[in-house]
Amino acid sequence: MPPPSEPEDVPIALIITHELTRRFGDVTALDGLTVSIEPGITGLVGSNGAGKSTLVKILLGLLEPSSGSANVMGHDVERASRAIRSLVGYMPEHDCLPPDMTAAEFVSFMARCSGLPATAARERAAEVLRHVGLFEERYRPMRGYSTGMAQRVKLAQALVHDPRILVLDEPTNGLDPAGRDEMLALIQRTGREFGISVLVSSHLLGELERVCDHVVLIDAGRLVRAARLGALTGETGTLLVEVDGDVEAYCAALVAHGLVVQRDLLRVLVELPNGDDAESVARMFATHDIVRDVAVATGVGLLRMERRRGHLEDLFAGAIS
Amino acid sequence: MSDLVNTSVSTTVSDATNDTTIHDLGYQRYEGARDGVRGAWRALFGQGFRAMFGLGRPLKSKAVPAFVLAATMLPSLATLAASSATQGQLPIMYGGLIQSQLILFVLFAAAQAPELLSHDQQHRLLPLILTRDVTRDVYASARLAAVLCALLAVCAAPLLLLYIGEIGIAADPASAFAKMGTKAGPVLMQATLTAWVIGAIGAAMASMTARRAYATASVIGVFLVAAAVSIGLDDLAGVSADVSRFVDPLRSLHTMSLILFGEKTRAMELTAPPPLWMFAALAFSLGAVGVLATFWRVRRVRV
Repeated sequence: MPPPSEPEDVPIALIITHELTRRFGDVTALDGLTVSIEPGITGLVGSNGAGKSTLVKILLGLLEPSSGSANVMGHDVERASRAIRSLVGYMPEHDCLPPDMTAAEFVSFMARCSGLPATAARERAAEVLRHVGLFEERYRPMRGYSTGMAQRVKLAQALVHDPRILVLDEPTNGLDPAGRDEMLALIQRTGREFGISVLVSSHLLGELERVCDHVVLIDAGRLVRAARLGALTGETGTLLVEVDGDVEAYCAALVAHGLVVQRDLLRVLVELPNGDDAESVARMFATHDIVRDVAVATGVGLLRMERRRGHLEDLFAGAIS
Repeated sequence: MSDLVNTSVSTTVSDATNDTTIHDLGYQRYEGARDGVRGAWRALFGQGFRAMFGLGRPLKSKAVPAFVLAATMLPSLATLAASSATQGQLPIMYGGLIQSQLILFVLFAAAQAPELLSHDQQHRLLPLILTRDVTRDVYASARLAAVLCALLAVCAAPLLLLYIGEIGIAADPASAFAKMGTKAGPVLMQATLTAWVIGAIGAAMASMTARRAYATASVIGVFLVAAAVSIGLDDLAGVSADVSRFVDPLRSLHTMSLILFGEKTRAMELTAPPPLWMFAALAFSLGAVGVLATFWRVRRVRV
């Protein structure tokens, strides 16, 4: 149990694992994983077989660790798995919808399996299904559901007992781009507006970039990197300039003004001075002025000028390969 | 006219767009009661018991329960009618009726127990249920209880019908009840032990596989093989009927009913069968093995 006097603004780790290891015969799915996950939306990224699902199953108490420990909101996964069950909602990667049941029946049954009384279960089921965007369809057997509808039902059953943490295993699998966007928006809203922390696993880094606060990257059962996304993909010291006209001459003119310039087809990357002190900031503004003035002087059209943001792929590229 | 058509088309289109957008209706916290494990057990039991009779399932799933109930109740009614028409000249033979019904009870268990125990594995519902307020033992006990209760209802129905009918058609129901009162115990004991044996073995076999068809076949198979072995012991190995009878659960259940209701076949008049308690003990142990096997299996299912 966390001490009650814990100050609220200090982020308390939601999930902590320590030297967590799980072997299946000769295969080591998790290899001494030590990571701490904070409240908010956290992406769990790794290629297929990296150990994402194994980690998720251990956190849910479906699998026992071979060694090491894991802790969810102060509850040990082995000793207090029952306390964890009411705190966690799980959306599995695999199909789990009985084709002969309707979504309304199924979600309300899952609510009852979390101990909700029958009437409350029915009401919650209707509410949550509406929340994920299923209306009249919820009275049809799930046999005929599209992948998008099925994924929504799976999300609804994970939410129905009002958990504090949502664990979503590959929620965008099999969805078309539009469905993927909607699912991600739904996940983002669930995490941001309803105060439910989300642990979402995916093998696609790019899509998590849009919705996550934190990213945990694992590979071969080991932690590669865990960090806040803002820190990872914050603004870099590069100014991206797009011009229309004689790029060659424009670059030459910039270099003549003493700037470090890199050319990338029609785009020009201008290095900005680093540092927070007044002099650096002043020089940074001056650089923007030079870029503008030189464009006027050389007669090119300035199409775009922005600070370049780092991308997750860039950060993890080395780690994954 | 063409305006009307246009309107209807545009409505359909806008409906279709609505379906693909996610509506922001807010999310509400749940602050109400939580019944914990007990509520979860009741949900698993209730849903399972209904599924045993195909309730809340498509029409197709109701076929076998309906057939079994009809096929076991109708002979009881016919017997009652015959007995009533002959003013009780035709005695009502409980044991005789049970013999033909036992295989129908097996059919019921074989068709319906997989609806619960295989179904949850086939559609991978089990791993999901196990992340709720449900441990493997809670799951196994709730599903087993659902199968056993459904079997008890099905096994008791024709016997109770006979029992109540026999009192009802008597010229003097009051004195008939006084005489018949002693039969209530045998009726309940026979129904309970029959449900216990067939239900528990059926549940155990159904929990072994995620494939419904295999589950159904294996439940029927177990009882058929036992019957075949029992007959083989009789005919080929020349083992005495007392021993071979115990190998076949259905045959021992039938013999038990004959003893319970004080009815006798020709063979039983020649050599007295083993005492009742041996049959009861055998039935109890067979059911217990089924129950333990179900728990054993559910604890080991990979999720």
